Amino acid sequence: MQSSYYSHVIRIVLGIVALAVLGFIGKTVLTPKSFGTYGHYRADAIEEEANIEIRHWTNAPCFACHAYEANLHLYGTHKTISCEFCHGPYADHVTNGKKTGVLPVKKGEDMKILCLRCHNKAIQARPEAVIKTVTMPEHLKDQKVKLTHTCNQCHHVHAPLKYINRDKQIVGMQGDS
Amino acid sequence: MDNTKPTIDKERRVFIKKVLEGTIAGSLLLVLPMNAGGEKIPEQVAGIRDGEYDLTDHDFAFIVDITRCIGCGSCCVADKKEFDVPDGHYRTWVERYLKDFDGNVYVDSPNGGLDGYHNPRTDIDVNVRDTFFVPKLCNMCKEPPCVQVCPVGATFRTPDGFVLVDHKRCVGCAYCIQACPYSVRFLHPVTKTAQKCTWCYHRVRKGLLPACVNVCPTSARKFGDLKDKTSEVYKILQGPGVFSVLKSDMGTWPALYYKGA
Repeated sequence: MQSSYYSHVIRIVLGIVALAVLGFIGKTVLTPKSFGTYGHYRADAIEEEANIEIRHWTNAPCFACHAYEANLHLYGTHKTISCEFCHGPYADHVTNGKKTGVLPVKKGEDMKILCLRCHNKAIQARPEAVIKTVTMPEHLKDQKVKLTHTCNQCHHVHAPLKYINRDKQIVGMQGDS
Repeated sequence: MDNTKPTIDKERRVFIKKVLEGTIAGSLLLVLPMNAGGEKIPEQVAGIRDGEYDLTDHDFAFIVDITRCIGCGSCCVADKKEFDVPDGHYRTWVERYLKDFDGNVYVDSPNGGLDGYHNPRTDIDVNVRDTFFVPKLCNMCKEPPCVQVCPVGATFRTPDGFVLVDHKRCVGCAYCIQACPYSVRFLHPVTKTAQKCTWCYHRVRKGLLPACVNVCPTSARKFGDLKDKTSEVYKILQGPGVFSVLKSDMGTWPALYYKGA
């Protein structure tokens, strides 16, 4: 009588122990190696995220090859503008130090749209202290040029006021003499 | 002996000058081949490349100056290209706010500001009192609701303060997308895992600024380490200026500050 009573308790205990062992093995096998190093997550995921390749390489590598543009860009009022905003990311242009693609250069009407993304006075919330804005057909009329003119016919895209200031200087000199 | 001292100093000065010039020229030569993952670009976030990166020794902050944002959408374009963000989803976007004299606020964001703002709003007829642009991105909360709800530990806050997603572990249940009070998360249509702004963690760890900060033409976006007492963000947050965080009453403690809000 007594032995049969114990045997069913032992069977239950053995079952629980077997389940616990199985559970433990399952947990060790299924839990990723670095899980729990810093918290309830896989610590290796931090390094995986950190090792993603960058696509925007800042202006410095652009200027390393494009010295002419660099010389204009760095001394003009557009010096704060990133090359890669207008031309696209460096990674589309150079891979492993070799040129692999041609980046677009906006022309004509496309360029006008690009300029007006920032310089359109029609959009309020653009403080004069931060950016100089114009209203579009009016600016062309004020400057007494054809309405079909694109922005870059007067403003160099990399140094917008370079030639305008130079012209003003020349005109000023003529006025003085 | 006193007479010889100045000449020695002079020589030393010339020598140091030459060494410095040589170093600069040498580093330029290193810049030219360009094949590593960004290590050759001048460091933008100070102190990242000095020795081994210590995860616990950084406390990053992001400041958006809404008085300087002109709504050009450079940040959105850079972000989309840096991460190949699928159309219709935004890791960062720019909202246009309009306020009238009765205290009503009108917000719109056509295509997340990706194409810029070309026309004033015509669909509402109100007397505009104030209008400004507000760029939105991940708030990197110190108490992130998205991390709390993730059932598999796929989203987490790193010791250096970034809330990231483990794409190998995410099961795509989208619970975090519902939990985020700032709606910065979305389910990637191809990988079917949760995606969000990471403040360009991969760039920061290489000593570079996030892509959006790097392209911002008006410096409306600032990023830096608050543990570095010489950093720009540390100085800006000391004031003067009005700083606020979004939905502060939710107790999420964002590390993203808005200036002028």
